[in-house]
Amino acid sequence: MAQSTNAIRKRKGILGGLAIVAIVTGLGWSLLVAPPDAYQGEVQRIMYLHLPSILTAYLSYFLVFIGSGMYLWKREKKDDLLAHAAAELGVLFTALTIIEGSIWGKPTWGVWWTWDARLTLTAILLLIYAGYLMLRSSIDDEQRAASAAAILGIIGFLDIPLIHMSVYWWRTLHQPPSILRPDKAPWENVHPAMLTALAISFVGFLLLYFYLLSLRYRVGEMRQEIKALRLERGV
Amino acid sequence: MGPWGYVSLAYGIVWGVIVVYWFVLKRRYRAAETELNRLRSSEAAVSHDKN
Repeated sequence: MAQSTNAIRKRKGILGGLAIVAIVTGLGWSLLVAPPDAYQGEVQRIMYLHLPSILTAYLSYFLVFIGSGMYLWKREKKDDLLAHAAAELGVLFTALTIIEGSIWGKPTWGVWWTWDARLTLTAILLLIYAGYLMLRSSIDDEQRAASAAAILGIIGFLDIPLIHMSVYWWRTLHQPPSILRPDKAPWENVHPAMLTALAISFVGFLLLYFYLLSLRYRVGEMRQEIKALRLERGV
Repeated sequence: MGPWGYVSLAYGIVWGVIVVYWFVLKRRYRAAETELNRLRSSEAAVSHDKN
């Protein structure tokens, strides 16, 4: 038991260490090596945070979607724990994306916020998953809370394709994608040093995400064990 | 505010929030771990007394 706990701790430590190395390298590349953008100037460097943040949030909601679907199908607690942990991190990274976008928007568009389709749909995404967390804490019956949250977790995920397509379907202030576009490969459209900064930052965010997710998942798992032990004793 | 001011603000807020969240998560982790160990050791003591 103690051996497996130590092995888990060691793995978490390695993951955390790798995340720090990638984040520091990404910061150096984003702030010192990548050139300023021809039109936006230095402010474009905020994109090295903005894009990795939203992609990490999407990954998180994908895990909520998978965990929720699996929970509704098999009723296994581990799937619900994964969905819950991923939803909390998804909310964190979506909130950061909106803050970064707002700080970039002020010098670029002249406003901190505008009711543009992509911005509004991203704010809705944040509200859906903040609601998911509130829903869980507002229902006492654990199984009912998990089932209700799983349904919301699956429905909420449908907002992501809408966010991605919003810049094509509506006239938006938000520019179309520079990386994930159907007509051009990223290296045909973006300076190699900028693409490298983006790639390293994304790897740093991913490693950090999986480190935080493993911690948050374990917190949920331990809480379950505590609840079970207390029930056993009638505490 | 100049362009580097906006860049510093964005990087400062993002990494500040992530560090605070990490600290809070670590505290939640340690609290749960301590509680679990306490319950496990008291359970072990009870079963030892029964034997």
